[in-house]
Amino acid sequence: MTKKGVKISLEKGLQNQIRDFFKKGLEKGVFDAVILPVRVPGKDSYAWILMNNAKLIDQANPVPPVMPVQGAKALKALTRKGNGIINVATIMRSCEIRAAIELSKLNQVNLEKITLVSYDCPGAVPMKGYNRIPEEMEKSFQNALAGKDFANDKMKEVCGICVDFANSPADLHFGFAGMENDGILFSNSDKGTAILDTLKMKCSEDDSQWKNSVNIIKEQKSKNRIEVYKSIQPEVEGLDNLQTTFAKCIGCHNCQSVCPICYCRQCYFDSSASKQTADYLQDKAKNRGGIGFPRDKIMFQVGRMAHMSLSCVSCGQCMDACPVDIPVAKIFSYVAAKTQDTFEYHAGTTADGAVPLKVYKQDELNKIHELIKNAEPQGSQHE
Amino acid sequence: MDETKFTPKIVGFLCNWCTYAAADLAGSSKTEISPLFSVIRVMCSSRIDHNLLLTTFFNGADGILIAGCHPGDCHYDKGNYYARRRYALLKNVMDTLKLEPERLELSWVSASEGKRYADVVNEFSKKIEQLGPNPIKKSSVF
Repeated sequence: MTKKGVKISLEKGLQNQIRDFFKKGLEKGVFDAVILPVRVPGKDSYAWILMNNAKLIDQANPVPPVMPVQGAKALKALTRKGNGIINVATIMRSCEIRAAIELSKLNQVNLEKITLVSYDCPGAVPMKGYNRIPEEMEKSFQNALAGKDFANDKMKEVCGICVDFANSPADLHFGFAGMENDGILFSNSDKGTAILDTLKMKCSEDDSQWKNSVNIIKEQKSKNRIEVYKSIQPEVEGLDNLQTTFAKCIGCHNCQSVCPICYCRQCYFDSSASKQTADYLQDKAKNRGGIGFPRDKIMFQVGRMAHMSLSCVSCGQCMDACPVDIPVAKIFSYVAAKTQDTFEYHAGTTADGAVPLKVYKQDELNKIHELIKNAEPQGSQHE
Repeated sequence: MDETKFTPKIVGFLCNWCTYAAADLAGSSKTEISPLFSVIRVMCSSRIDHNLLLTTFFNGADGILIAGCHPGDCHYDKGNYYARRRYALLKNVMDTLKLEPERLELSWVSASEGKRYADVVNEFSKKIEQLGPNPIKKSSVF
Protein backbone atom coordinates (compact mmCIF):
# COMPACT_ATOMS: atom_id res chain seq x y z
CA MET A 1 0.00 0.00 0.00
CA THR A 2 1.55 3.27 -1.04
CA LYS A 3 1.01 6.47 0.82
CA LYS A 4 1.23 10.04 -0.32
CA GLY A 5 3.56 12.43 1.43
CA VAL A 6 4.86 15.95 1.17
CA LYS A 7 7.97 16.40 -0.89
CA ILE A 8 10.63 18.25 1.08
CA SER A 9 13.94 19.54 -0.13
CA LEU A 10 17.04 18.56 1.83
CA GLU A 11 19.27 21.12 0.22
CA LYS A 12 19.57 23.13 3.42
CA GLY A 13 19.97 19.94 5.40
CA LEU A 14 17.51 17.91 7.40
CA GLN A 15 18.05 19.81 10.64
CA ASN A 16 17.09 23.13 9.05
CA GLN A 17 14.13 21.59 7.29
CA ILE A 18 12.81 20.26 10.60
CA ARG A 19 13.42 23.59 12.35
CA ASP A 20 11.50 25.38 9.62
CA PHE A 21 8.64 22.93 9.96
CA PHE A 22 8.35 23.56 13.69
CA LYS A 23 8.62 27.32 13.28
CA LYS A 24 5.87 27.24 10.70
CA GLY A 25 3.74 25.10 12.98
CA LEU A 26 4.15 27.53 15.85
CA GLU A 27 3.39 30.47 13.58
CA LYS A 28 0.17 28.94 12.28
CA GLY A 29 -0.79 27.81 15.75
CA VAL A 30 -1.06 24.08 15.07
CA PHE A 31 0.94 23.62 18.22
CA ASP A 32 1.77 26.03 20.99
CA ALA A 33 5.19 24.75 22.02
CA VAL A 34 7.81 22.23 21.04
CA ILE A 35 10.21 19.99 22.92
CA LEU A 36 13.54 19.80 21.15
CA PRO A 37 17.06 18.69 22.07
CA VAL A 38 19.44 21.59 22.63
CA ARG A 39 23.17 21.22 23.03
CA VAL A 40 24.22 21.97 26.58
CA PRO A 41 26.60 24.91 27.23
CA GLY A 42 29.48 22.49 27.88
CA LYS A 43 28.95 21.17 24.34
CA ASP A 44 29.27 17.56 25.46
CA SER A 45 25.63 16.54 25.70
CA TYR A 46 22.06 17.46 24.84
CA ALA A 47 19.02 18.32 26.91
CA TRP A 48 15.31 18.35 26.12
CA ILE A 49 13.92 21.87 26.24
CA LEU A 50 10.27 22.87 26.11
CA MET A 51 10.14 26.13 24.14
CA ASN A 52 7.95 28.30 22.02
CA ASN A 53 10.15 30.95 20.52
CA ALA A 54 11.77 30.83 17.12
CA LYS A 55 15.16 31.99 18.37
CA LEU A 56 15.49 29.03 20.70
CA ILE A 57 14.42 26.70 17.94
CA ASP A 58 17.35 27.97 15.89
CA GLN A 59 19.67 26.83 18.65
CA ALA A 60 18.05 23.41 18.86
CA ASN A 61 19.37 20.39 17.08
CA PRO A 62 16.29 18.32 16.20
CA VAL A 63 18.38 15.27 15.29
CA PRO A 64 21.09 15.02 17.94
CA PRO A 65 23.94 12.52 17.68
CA VAL A 66 23.36 11.19 21.18
CA MET A 67 20.41 10.16 23.32
CA PRO A 68 21.41 11.19 26.85
CA VAL A 69 17.82 11.12 28.11
CA GLN A 70 15.33 8.89 26.40
CA GLY A 71 12.67 11.18 24.90
CA ALA A 72 9.86 9.14 26.39
CA LYS A 73 11.21 10.08 29.81
CA ALA A 74 10.93 13.76 28.93
CA LEU A 75 7.31 13.26 27.86
CA LYS A 76 6.66 11.29 31.02
CA ALA A 77 8.04 14.11 33.13
CA LEU A 78 5.82 16.60 31.30
CA THR A 79 2.53 14.68 31.34
CA ARG A 80 2.76 12.48 34.41
CA LYS A 81 0.09 14.54 36.15
CA GLY A 82 -2.15 15.21 33.19
CA ASN A 83 -1.56 16.87 29.87
CA GLY A 84 -2.11 20.59 30.48
CA ILE A 85 -3.85 22.94 28.09
CA ILE A 86 -1.37 23.57 25.31
CA ASN A 87 -0.52 21.44 22.31
CA VAL A 88 3.08 20.33 22.27
CA ALA A 89 5.02 18.85 19.37
CA THR A 90 8.26 16.97 19.56
CA ILE A 91 10.61 15.13 17.28
CA MET A 92 12.27 11.96 18.45
CA ARG A 93 13.99 8.81 17.36
CA SER A 94 11.81 5.84 16.56
CA CYS A 95 12.74 4.02 19.78
CA GLU A 96 11.81 7.10 21.81
CA ILE A 97 8.43 7.32 20.08
CA ARG A 98 7.81 3.61 20.61
CA ALA A 99 8.72 3.89 24.30
CA ALA A 100 6.32 6.83 24.63
CA ILE A 101 3.57 4.76 23.01
CA GLU A 102 4.25 1.88 25.41
CA LEU A 103 4.17 4.27 28.37
CA SER A 104 0.88 5.71 27.18
CA LYS A 105 -0.53 2.17 27.13
CA LEU A 106 0.72 1.82 30.70
CA ASN A 107 -0.93 5.12 31.67
CA GLN A 108 2.39 6.84 32.39
CA VAL A 109 2.34 9.30 29.51
CA ASN A 110 -0.62 11.22 28.16
CA LEU A 111 -0.28 11.73 24.43
CA GLU A 112 -3.59 13.47 23.87
CA LYS A 113 -2.03 16.90 23.40
CA ILE A 114 1.33 15.74 22.14
CA THR A 115 2.21 15.58 18.46
CA LEU A 116 4.91 13.03 17.84
CA VAL A 117 7.23 13.46 14.88
CA SER A 118 9.93 11.00 13.91
CA TYR A 119 12.56 10.53 11.23
CA ASP A 120 14.65 7.81 9.65
CA CYS A 121 17.12 7.29 12.44
CA PRO A 122 20.73 6.59 11.48
CA GLY A 123 21.39 5.49 15.07
CA ALA A 124 22.79 7.22 18.11
CA VAL A 125 26.39 7.60 19.17
CA PRO A 126 27.12 5.95 22.54
CA MET A 127 27.23 8.56 25.28
CA LYS A 128 30.59 7.36 26.55
CA GLY A 129 32.26 7.81 23.18
CA TYR A 130 30.57 11.15 22.63
CA ASN A 131 31.44 13.01 25.78
CA ARG A 132 35.12 12.15 25.41
CA ILE A 133 35.43 13.60 21.90
CA PRO A 134 32.22 15.54 21.22
CA GLU A 135 33.35 17.50 18.19
CA GLU A 136 34.68 14.49 16.34
CA MET A 137 31.59 12.46 17.10
CA GLU A 138 29.36 15.36 16.12
CA LYS A 139 31.06 15.51 12.75
CA SER A 140 30.85 11.80 12.04
CA PHE A 141 27.19 11.72 13.03
CA GLN A 142 26.30 14.66 10.82
CA ASN A 143 28.17 12.99 7.97
CA ALA A 144 26.23 9.77 8.51
CA LEU A 145 23.00 11.76 8.54
CA ALA A 146 23.82 13.74 5.42
CA GLY A 147 25.19 10.66 3.65
CA LYS A 148 22.09 8.64 4.63
CA ASP A 149 24.37 6.03 6.12
CA PHE A 150 22.31 3.61 8.20
CA ALA A 151 25.10 1.17 8.95
CA ASN A 152 27.64 3.46 10.57
CA ASP A 153 29.87 1.62 13.03
CA LYS A 154 30.22 4.66 15.31
CA MET A 155 26.64 4.14 16.49
CA LYS A 156 25.46 2.03 19.41
CA GLU A 157 25.51 -1.69 18.81
CA VAL A 158 21.75 -1.99 19.24
CA CYS A 159 21.26 0.68 16.57
CA GLY A 160 22.99 -1.62 14.09
CA ILE A 161 20.35 -4.28 14.70
CA CYS A 162 17.35 -1.94 14.92
CA VAL A 163 14.76 -2.97 12.34
CA ASP A 164 12.34 -0.24 13.42
CA PHE A 165 14.60 2.74 12.69
CA ALA A 166 11.97 4.10 10.28
CA ASN A 167 8.94 2.44 11.76
CA SER A 168 6.97 4.08 14.52
CA PRO A 169 3.39 5.18 14.97
CA ALA A 170 4.42 8.85 15.19
CA ASP A 171 1.87 11.32 13.84
CA LEU A 172 4.33 12.63 11.27
CA HIS A 173 7.46 11.11 9.82
CA PHE A 174 10.40 12.60 7.93
CA GLY A 175 11.66 9.95 5.54
CA PHE A 176 14.83 10.33 3.50
CA ALA A 177 16.45 6.88 3.39
CA GLY A 178 17.67 6.03 -0.09
CA MET A 179 16.34 9.27 -1.63
CA GLU A 180 18.69 11.52 -3.52
CA ASN A 181 18.10 15.19 -2.79
CA ASP A 182 14.64 15.16 -1.38
CA GLY A 183 12.86 13.74 1.55
CA ILE A 184 9.27 12.92 2.21
CA LEU A 185 7.08 14.02 5.09
CA PHE A 186 4.00 11.91 5.65
CA SER A 187 1.34 11.40 8.22
CA ASN A 188 0.52 8.21 10.13
CA SER A 189 -2.54 9.44 11.97
CA ASP A 190 -5.55 11.72 11.73
CA LYS A 191 -3.75 14.22 13.93
CA GLY A 192 -0.83 14.29 11.50
CA THR A 193 -3.08 14.67 8.47
CA ALA A 194 -4.90 17.57 10.09
CA ILE A 195 -1.60 19.32 10.76
CA LEU A 196 -0.45 18.93 7.15
CA ASP A 197 -3.81 20.28 6.00
CA THR A 198 -3.60 23.33 8.25
CA LEU A 199 -0.07 24.04 7.10
CA LYS A 200 -1.30 23.68 3.52
CA MET A 201 1.33 21.11 2.72
CA LYS A 202 0.33 19.08 -0.28
CA CYS A 203 0.71 15.31 -0.20
CA SER A 204 1.69 14.60 -3.76
CA GLU A 205 4.83 12.51 -3.45
CA ASP A 206 4.60 8.74 -3.63
CA ASP A 207 6.39 6.94 -0.80
CA SER A 208 7.25 3.75 -2.68
CA GLN A 209 10.87 4.69 -3.36
CA TRP A 210 11.46 5.48 0.28
CA LYS A 211 9.69 2.34 1.38
CA ASN A 212 11.81 0.15 -0.87
CA SER A 213 15.06 1.54 0.43
CA VAL A 214 13.86 1.20 4.01
CA ASN A 215 13.09 -2.44 3.36
CA ILE A 216 16.53 -3.06 1.94
CA ILE A 217 18.21 -1.50 5.00
CA LYS A 218 15.84 -3.40 7.23
CA GLU A 219 16.79 -6.69 5.65
CA GLN A 220 20.46 -6.05 6.29
CA LYS A 221 19.72 -5.07 9.88
CA SER A 222 17.65 -8.21 10.40
CA LYS A 223 20.64 -10.24 9.31
CA ASN A 224 22.89 -8.39 11.75
CA ARG A 225 20.29 -8.95 14.40
CA ILE A 226 20.39 -12.71 14.00
CA GLU A 227 24.19 -12.62 14.20
CA VAL A 228 24.22 -10.47 17.33
CA TYR A 229 21.60 -12.64 19.01
CA LYS A 230 23.68 -15.69 18.19
CA SER A 231 26.76 -14.08 19.68
CA ILE A 232 24.93 -13.13 22.87
CA GLN A 233 23.53 -16.62 23.51
CA PRO A 234 26.68 -18.15 25.01
CA GLU A 235 26.90 -15.22 27.40
CA VAL A 236 23.47 -15.69 28.90
CA GLU A 237 22.53 -19.32 28.49
CA GLY A 238 22.81 -21.26 31.68
CA LEU A 239 23.26 -20.06 35.21
CA ASP A 240 27.06 -20.23 35.13
CA ASN A 241 27.39 -18.13 31.99
CA LEU A 242 24.87 -15.66 33.28
CA GLN A 243 26.85 -15.32 36.47
CA THR A 244 30.08 -14.86 34.57
CA THR A 245 28.53 -12.11 32.46
CA PHE A 246 27.10 -10.25 35.43
CA ALA A 247 29.94 -10.96 37.87
CA LYS A 248 31.30 -7.43 37.40
CA CYS A 249 27.93 -5.77 38.01
CA ILE A 250 28.31 -3.13 40.71
CA GLY A 251 24.61 -3.03 41.50
CA CYS A 252 24.19 0.66 40.68
CA HIS A 253 20.84 -0.04 38.97
CA ASN A 254 21.63 2.62 36.37
CA CYS A 255 20.15 0.34 33.72
CA GLN A 256 16.87 0.49 35.55
CA SER A 257 16.83 4.21 36.27
CA VAL A 258 17.56 5.24 32.67
CA CYS A 259 15.14 2.70 31.22
CA PRO A 260 12.12 4.52 29.81
CA ILE A 261 9.89 1.51 30.41
CA CYS A 262 10.84 0.87 34.04
CA TYR A 263 8.33 3.30 35.47
CA CYS A 264 7.72 2.04 39.03
CA ARG A 265 8.09 4.84 41.58
CA GLN A 266 10.01 2.42 43.73
CA CYS A 267 11.64 -0.67 42.37
CA TYR A 268 11.18 -3.82 44.42
CA PHE A 269 14.93 -4.38 44.26
CA ASP A 270 15.59 -0.99 45.86
CA SER A 271 13.06 -1.58 48.59
CA SER A 272 13.83 -2.97 52.00
CA ALA A 273 11.48 -5.89 51.26
CA SER A 274 14.18 -7.34 49.04
CA LYS A 275 16.93 -7.07 51.64
CA GLN A 276 17.90 -9.93 53.91
CA THR A 277 19.16 -10.19 57.45
CA ALA A 278 22.78 -10.84 58.34
CA ASP A 279 21.86 -14.20 59.88
CA TYR A 280 20.22 -15.33 56.70
CA LEU A 281 23.14 -14.23 54.54
CA GLN A 282 25.76 -15.77 56.80
CA ASP A 283 23.84 -19.02 56.76
CA LYS A 284 23.65 -18.92 53.01
CA ALA A 285 27.37 -18.21 52.70
CA LYS A 286 28.07 -21.19 54.92
CA ASN A 287 25.90 -23.49 52.80
CA ARG A 288 27.22 -22.32 49.47
CA GLY A 289 30.83 -21.81 50.42
CA GLY A 290 30.54 -18.05 49.92
CA ILE A 291 28.22 -15.41 48.55
CA GLY A 292 28.98 -12.25 46.64
CA PHE A 293 28.01 -8.64 47.25
CA PRO A 294 26.12 -6.70 46.08
CA ARG A 295 23.41 -9.34 46.27
CA ASP A 296 20.81 -10.37 43.70
CA LYS A 297 22.67 -9.30 40.59
CA ILE A 298 21.06 -11.91 38.41
CA MET A 299 17.72 -11.87 40.16
CA PHE A 300 17.56 -8.14 39.49
CA GLN A 301 18.18 -8.61 35.79
CA VAL A 302 15.81 -11.56 35.43
CA GLY A 303 13.20 -9.64 37.42
CA ARG A 304 13.56 -6.69 35.09
CA MET A 305 13.29 -8.97 32.07
CA ALA A 306 10.05 -10.37 33.44
CA HIS A 307 8.70 -6.94 34.28
CA MET A 308 9.58 -4.85 31.26
CA SER A 309 10.80 -7.03 28.39
CA LEU A 310 7.33 -7.10 26.82
CA SER A 311 7.57 -3.34 26.35
CA CYS A 312 11.33 -3.16 25.67
CA VAL A 313 12.03 -1.06 22.58
CA SER A 314 15.78 -1.86 22.46
CA CYS A 315 16.85 1.76 22.71
CA GLY A 316 20.15 0.79 24.31
CA GLN A 317 20.01 3.34 27.13
CA CYS A 318 20.83 0.62 29.68
CA MET A 319 24.08 -0.22 27.94
CA ASP A 320 24.94 3.47 27.61
CA ALA A 321 24.54 3.91 31.34
CA CYS A 322 26.35 0.77 32.46
CA PRO A 323 29.61 1.87 34.10
CA VAL A 324 31.17 -1.58 33.78
CA ASP A 325 30.22 -2.26 30.15
CA ILE A 326 28.01 -5.28 30.54
CA PRO A 327 26.20 -5.73 27.19
CA VAL A 328 22.83 -5.25 28.89
CA ALA A 329 21.05 -3.80 25.87
CA LYS A 330 21.97 -6.70 23.63
CA ILE A 331 20.86 -9.17 26.28
CA PHE A 332 17.55 -7.39 26.84
CA SER A 333 16.97 -7.03 23.13
CA TYR A 334 17.47 -10.77 22.72
CA VAL A 335 15.23 -11.73 25.64
CA ALA A 336 12.59 -9.16 24.65
CA ALA A 337 12.45 -10.45 21.09
CA LYS A 338 11.62 -13.87 22.48
CA THR A 339 9.04 -12.80 25.05
CA GLN A 340 7.31 -10.44 22.62
CA ASP A 341 7.11 -13.29 20.10
CA THR A 342 5.30 -15.42 22.66
CA PHE A 343 2.45 -12.93 22.71
CA GLU A 344 2.82 -11.93 19.06
CA TYR A 345 3.47 -8.40 20.20
CA HIS A 346 5.89 -5.82 18.89
CA ALA A 347 6.45 -3.12 21.47
CA GLY A 348 5.39 0.37 20.47
CA THR A 349 4.79 -0.26 16.79
CA THR A 350 1.04 0.23 16.94
CA ALA A 351 -0.63 3.07 18.76
CA ASP A 352 -3.77 1.12 19.66
CA GLY A 353 -4.19 -2.09 21.60
CA ALA A 354 -3.01 -2.97 25.09
CA VAL A 355 0.19 -4.39 26.52
CA PRO A 356 0.04 -8.22 26.63
CA LEU A 357 -0.31 -8.56 30.39
CA LYS A 358 -3.41 -6.38 30.42
CA VAL A 359 -5.42 -8.63 28.12
CA TYR A 360 -5.99 -12.33 27.59
CA LYS A 361 -7.75 -14.81 25.38
CA GLN A 362 -9.78 -17.64 26.81
CA ASP A 363 -8.08 -20.26 24.73
CA GLU A 364 -4.36 -19.61 24.36
CA LEU A 365 -0.88 -20.67 25.42
CA ASN A 366 -1.98 -24.27 25.56
CA LYS A 367 1.47 -25.46 24.69
CA ILE A 368 3.26 -23.96 27.66
CA HIS A 369 2.97 -27.06 29.72
CA GLU A 370 1.63 -30.54 29.93
CA LEU A 371 0.28 -30.12 33.44
CA ILE A 372 -2.14 -27.61 31.99
CA LYS A 373 -2.92 -30.02 29.21
CA ASN A 374 -3.85 -32.64 31.77
CA ALA A 375 -6.45 -30.25 33.03
CA GLU A 376 -7.99 -29.89 29.61
CA PRO A 377 -10.35 -32.90 29.58
CA GLN A 378 -12.23 -31.18 32.36
CA GLY A 379 -12.11 -27.95 30.39
CA SER A 380 -15.46 -28.53 28.73
CA GLN A 381 -17.44 -28.14 31.92
CA HIS A 382 -15.46 -25.07 32.88
CA GLU A 383 -15.92 -22.94 29.78
CA MET B 1 19.09 -37.17 58.03
CA ASP B 2 20.84 -38.87 55.17
CA GLU B 3 22.71 -36.04 53.49
CA THR B 4 23.55 -37.90 50.30
CA LYS B 5 19.91 -38.40 49.41
CA PHE B 6 18.27 -35.45 47.74
CA THR B 7 15.04 -34.29 49.30
CA PRO B 8 13.70 -31.44 47.24
CA LYS B 9 12.12 -28.35 48.66
CA ILE B 10 9.09 -27.34 46.66
CA VAL B 11 7.00 -24.24 47.13
CA GLY B 12 3.38 -24.18 46.09
CA PHE B 13 1.53 -20.92 45.56
CA LEU B 14 -2.11 -21.94 45.87
CA CYS B 15 -5.17 -19.86 45.14
CA ASN B 16 -7.35 -19.42 48.19
CA TRP B 17 -10.62 -20.26 46.49
CA CYS B 18 -9.83 -23.41 44.52
CA THR B 19 -6.52 -25.13 45.00
CA TYR B 20 -6.04 -24.29 48.66
CA ALA B 21 -9.49 -25.74 49.33
CA ALA B 22 -8.55 -28.76 47.26
CA ALA B 23 -5.42 -29.20 49.36
CA ASP B 24 -7.62 -29.05 52.43
CA LEU B 25 -9.95 -31.62 50.96
CA ALA B 26 -7.07 -33.89 50.04
CA GLY B 27 -5.85 -33.67 53.61
CA SER B 28 -9.19 -34.31 55.25
CA SER B 29 -9.89 -37.25 52.98
CA LYS B 30 -6.50 -38.67 53.99
CA THR B 31 -5.02 -38.81 50.49
CA GLU B 32 -1.33 -39.58 50.36
CA ILE B 33 0.55 -36.43 49.38
CA SER B 34 4.23 -35.79 48.89
CA PRO B 35 5.58 -34.17 52.09
CA LEU B 36 8.05 -31.94 50.23
CA PHE B 37 5.58 -29.16 49.67
CA SER B 38 5.55 -25.83 51.45
CA VAL B 39 2.27 -24.20 50.71
CA ILE B 40 1.75 -20.45 50.46
CA ARG B 41 -1.83 -19.32 50.22
CA VAL B 42 -2.55 -16.37 47.94
CA MET B 43 -5.88 -14.75 47.26
CA CYS B 44 -5.61 -15.29 43.53
CA SER B 45 -3.10 -16.92 41.21
CA SER B 46 -2.78 -13.58 39.40
CA ARG B 47 -1.55 -11.99 42.61
CA ILE B 48 1.75 -13.81 42.21
CA ASP B 49 4.24 -11.27 40.98
CA HIS B 50 7.30 -12.44 39.11
CA ASN B 51 9.45 -11.18 41.97
CA LEU B 52 7.82 -13.62 44.38
CA LEU B 53 8.67 -16.50 42.10
CA LEU B 54 12.20 -15.26 41.45
CA THR B 55 12.87 -14.69 45.13
CA THR B 56 11.73 -18.24 45.79
CA PHE B 57 13.78 -19.62 42.93
CA PHE B 58 16.96 -17.68 43.61
CA ASN B 59 16.86 -18.52 47.29
CA GLY B 60 17.07 -22.19 46.50
CA ALA B 61 13.60 -23.70 46.01
CA ASP B 62 13.94 -26.78 43.83
CA GLY B 63 10.51 -26.43 42.34
CA ILE B 64 7.65 -23.93 42.25
CA LEU B 65 4.06 -24.82 41.59
CA ILE B 66 1.41 -22.21 40.93
CA ALA B 67 -2.12 -23.56 41.07
CA GLY B 68 -5.46 -21.87 40.77
CA CYS B 69 -9.03 -22.26 39.57
CA HIS B 70 -9.73 -23.74 36.15
CA PRO B 71 -10.05 -21.22 33.31
CA GLY B 72 -13.52 -19.77 33.46
CA ASP B 73 -13.91 -20.62 37.15
CA CYS B 74 -11.89 -17.83 38.72
CA HIS B 75 -13.40 -16.40 41.88
CA TYR B 76 -12.50 -12.97 40.52
CA ASP B 77 -13.77 -13.80 37.06
CA LYS B 78 -10.53 -13.63 35.09
CA GLY B 79 -7.53 -13.67 37.42
CA ASN B 80 -6.31 -17.05 36.28
CA TYR B 81 -6.15 -15.90 32.66
CA TYR B 82 -3.78 -13.13 33.70
CA ALA B 83 -1.85 -15.61 35.83
CA ARG B 84 -1.43 -17.84 32.81
CA ARG B 85 0.02 -14.96 30.78
CA ARG B 86 2.44 -13.99 33.53
CA TYR B 87 3.48 -17.58 33.95
CA ALA B 88 4.06 -17.95 30.20
CA LEU B 89 6.21 -14.80 30.28
CA LEU B 90 8.47 -15.91 33.12
CA LYS B 91 8.68 -19.41 31.71
CA ASN B 92 9.79 -17.91 28.42
CA VAL B 93 12.47 -15.77 30.08
CA MET B 94 13.75 -18.77 32.02
CA ASP B 95 13.75 -20.82 28.86
CA THR B 96 15.73 -18.18 26.97
CA LEU B 97 18.29 -18.02 29.76
CA LYS B 98 18.27 -21.81 30.17
CA LEU B 99 17.49 -21.49 33.86
CA GLU B 100 15.73 -24.87 34.00
CA PRO B 101 12.18 -23.68 33.35
CA GLU B 102 10.93 -27.18 34.19
CA ARG B 103 11.18 -26.18 37.82
CA LEU B 104 8.33 -23.74 37.38
CA GLU B 105 4.87 -25.15 36.84
CA LEU B 106 1.30 -23.97 36.55
CA SER B 107 -1.74 -26.14 37.04
CA TRP B 108 -5.47 -25.83 37.58
CA VAL B 109 -7.13 -27.64 40.48
CA SER B 110 -10.67 -26.83 41.55
CA ALA B 111 -11.92 -26.93 45.12
CA SER B 112 -13.61 -30.30 44.66
CA GLU B 113 -10.60 -32.01 43.14
CA GLY B 114 -8.76 -33.28 46.22
CA LYS B 115 -7.62 -36.33 44.34
CA ARG B 116 -6.35 -34.30 41.42
CA TYR B 117 -4.45 -32.03 43.79
CA ALA B 118 -2.63 -35.07 45.18
CA ASP B 119 -1.89 -36.29 41.67
CA VAL B 120 -0.51 -32.95 40.50
CA VAL B 121 1.63 -32.57 43.63
CA ASN B 122 2.96 -36.11 43.52
CA GLU B 123 3.71 -35.95 39.85
CA PHE B 124 5.52 -32.62 40.19
CA SER B 125 7.50 -33.84 43.23
CA LYS B 126 8.60 -36.90 41.31
CA LYS B 127 9.72 -34.74 38.42
CA ILE B 128 11.74 -32.44 40.67
CA GLU B 129 13.33 -35.41 42.41
CA GLN B 130 14.49 -36.64 39.04
CA LEU B 131 15.75 -33.17 38.06
CA GLY B 132 17.95 -32.96 41.14
CA PRO B 133 18.78 -29.96 43.28
CA ASN B 134 18.44 -26.39 42.06
CA PRO B 135 21.84 -25.38 40.60
CA ILE B 136 21.49 -22.00 42.33
CA LYS B 137 22.53 -23.69 45.55
CA LYS B 138 25.88 -24.69 44.12
CA SER B 139 26.44 -21.74 41.83
CA SER B 140 29.65 -19.74 41.83
CA VAL B 141 30.16 -17.37 44.71
CA PHE B 142 30.00 -14.19 42.63
